[in-house]
Amino acid sequence: MNKLLSSITLSFIVTGGLIAGEITGVVKYIGKPPKAKRLRMDADPVCAASHQEAAKAETFIVDAKGNLANVIVYLKGVKYSGKTPTQPVELDQAGCVYSPHVMGVMAGQPVKILNSDATMHNIHGLPKVNREFNFGMPKTLKEKTISFDKSEDVFVVKCDVHPWMKSFTQVFDHPYFAVTGTDGKFSIPNVPDGTYEAIAWQERFGSKRTLSQQVTVKGGSATLNFNFERPKKK
Amino acid sequence: MSDNHTKETFFTKYIWSIDHKVIGIQYGITALLWLLVGFGLMMVMRYQLAYPDTQIPFIGWIFGEDKLLLPEKYNSLGAMHGTIMIFLGVVPLAFGAFGNYLVPLQIGAIDMAFPRLNAASYWTYFLGSIIMVVGFFVPGGAANSGWTSYPPLADVATAGQTVWLLGMVMLITSSLLGSVNIMVTVIQLRAEGMTWFRLPIFVWTQFITAFLLLLAFPPLEAAGILQLMDRLAGTSFFLPTGLVVSGEVLTNAGGGSPLLWQHLFWFLAHPEVYVLILPAFGIISEIIANNTRKPLSGYKSLVYAMTFLGFMSFVVWAHHMYLTGMGTTMGAFFQTTTMIISIPSVVILTALLLSLWGGSIRFNTPMLFALAFLPMFGIGGLTGLPLGLAAADIHLHDTYYVIGHFHYVVAPGTLFALFAGVYFWFPKVTGKSLNESLGKLHFYFSFIFMNGVFMPMFIQGLAGVSRRLADGGQAYAHAADVIYLNEIMSWSAWLLGMAQLFFIANVVLTLFKARTGEINPWNATTIDWTETSSPPLGHGNFEKIPVVYRGPYEYSVPGSKIDFTPQTEKG
Repeated sequence: MNKLLSSITLSFIVTGGLIAGEITGVVKYIGKPPKAKRLRMDADPVCAASHQEAAKAETFIVDAKGNLANVIVYLKGVKYSGKTPTQPVELDQAGCVYSPHVMGVMAGQPVKILNSDATMHNIHGLPKVNREFNFGMPKTLKEKTISFDKSEDVFVVKCDVHPWMKSFTQVFDHPYFAVTGTDGKFSIPNVPDGTYEAIAWQERFGSKRTLSQQVTVKGGSATLNFNFERPKKK
Repeated sequence: MSDNHTKETFFTKYIWSIDHKVIGIQYGITALLWLLVGFGLMMVMRYQLAYPDTQIPFIGWIFGEDKLLLPEKYNSLGAMHGTIMIFLGVVPLAFGAFGNYLVPLQIGAIDMAFPRLNAASYWTYFLGSIIMVVGFFVPGGAANSGWTSYPPLADVATAGQTVWLLGMVMLITSSLLGSVNIMVTVIQLRAEGMTWFRLPIFVWTQFITAFLLLLAFPPLEAAGILQLMDRLAGTSFFLPTGLVVSGEVLTNAGGGSPLLWQHLFWFLAHPEVYVLILPAFGIISEIIANNTRKPLSGYKSLVYAMTFLGFMSFVVWAHHMYLTGMGTTMGAFFQTTTMIISIPSVVILTALLLSLWGGSIRFNTPMLFALAFLPMFGIGGLTGLPLGLAAADIHLHDTYYVIGHFHYVVAPGTLFALFAGVYFWFPKVTGKSLNESLGKLHFYFSFIFMNGVFMPMFIQGLAGVSRRLADGGQAYAHAADVIYLNEIMSWSAWLLGMAQLFFIANVVLTLFKARTGEINPWNATTIDWTETSSPPLGHGNFEKIPVVYRGPYEYSVPGSKIDFTPQTEKG
């Protein structure tokens, strides 16, 4: 995550220019969080052995204070004419889970896919706009770099060998996006002054229940908080 | 008589020729090259199986920067190995090359019945074979759903599958053109006196093979077009309702049946097995009769058995499908037919074995290959029996046992017969005999390493190791005890490849030699050897159409001065 943010920051140092501010904030979840399911990795002994305690599903990570992790926060409909970062974003397959679980990347930016496990993974991305990718990574193939040509809403990246392995990627045509950490915080630096529509996406809520609000950046910083609420039972 | 054409140019003589002999040679050279390509694919696969996920030496760069044969590429090589070996290699060689070249010569015809159709057949095959390998260069690589192309997988596979289907349609069209031609030729163009029971067994096998091709291939051609429609036109012939691919329900899927494909495919592919083996029987029969210097034992039994085999081959196809959940009634039917079809096979093999009895055998290279064929085909055939019974097949289905079984039939079986045929008829085609020492080296090394490749597959298969595993089974605990065999099989395969260098060198060196002028070096009886020069005359074959007075295997006739009596000798 830090690498992602630093790469975005770096890109702005390179592009320089306009008066820019930073949007920071926290994404919270209001309500009783669902229990994380245990991942059963018995099918592959290498996967099972890589976790001392049973690994849990990362579909909904929320701490005691309601801070919600793995939420993509981004500005919608922004025009960007700066450079695309050349620093790759990393997607690791470690302990038979994807790390990060959710990520954003710019179109054209390299995505370095790593296999840190001593087993075979078959990484299968299911974009609709970009070209689908699907290839095996035997334990001896430690990294492979790909990239996406066009911006695209969030899509699934999964492993065809280990059915529990799933992650999400969104491709942007600008660098104004971030993913919340385990403390629910995010930071989108170097945003030019202006008023924008900001979107927050979380896996369980899906693309139909994203949150959106307006944010204005003027000469410094702006704060933006989102609250996902547990849907009321009908 | 020898040449009834107007001016021949290089182009009409060697490229767009309508002479059955030139077309036969075209088929032969093309098919042998494809066999080499198909074998090459397998040698790469065997590296991955012996040393999984390590860089491929020498030619690793073909597979990208990492030089690894990734699983998806392994799948492509597997599917293409099967396709190339069968449809681009063995069938065109056995039927296209041998059939075209020898049938008119052996029955005393000046050409095939439809010479232009014959040329069209070759060029359709040539085009189909090129289309087939174009698949390697499309996004996602060549077809990777196995040589059987089972849907739904094949329906949703990468673009290479579309190319495979287009290639297949061309290849089947070519086979159909060829089969009609052989049938009409044998029925209509036999020389005077060449009655049905005076036909050499080789002609009989080609004739029956032509029927199998004509009747079995169209269903797959139709099925191939249906699968193309599924892939390109949004139809759903083979896609079941509610099919989920990568977590999403396919919108165009509905009402189709993946099992339908399996039926259509195996309705072709089981007779196909006999398309592969019948010409081999024919070649072996000629060579055994010639090199034992005595008539074949049970000529009529052979003819009846082969004809029966041809008929029965159409009612055994579902023994490839016991695991699809067919009912016990259907299962019982196909188990019974499968057991019945083994009877003619045994009759044929027994007749050929008995033919050796009391013969004064000449152990030349073609005969060595022919002799090796008998036990090798025996192993291939007998190991098929457990697969024909559902109870045993449930354990053995899709394991290396199956791979071992059918390779024994096709590789040391049919391929040995084809090599025997090449050594036997090479003097006929070129007027030059292949070198015996190199030929024997080729035979002995091929024999040893062929068994080194395929025998261990039975052991792995019985242990339950599945076919189509890109890592040779290393991910499975039950394979641990037999996985060491992978290295033995792979080294055998590479050494088998090396052994073919004797053959290639032999052919090249012999082609540079001068013609011997010897017309009938094997002292054979059939018209192809006795009634025309070696190589035969140009278009037209014979100075004078021969007349036949006797059967094809009159060797060591009592009272005769020489130990062979040509079919054309009055008496």
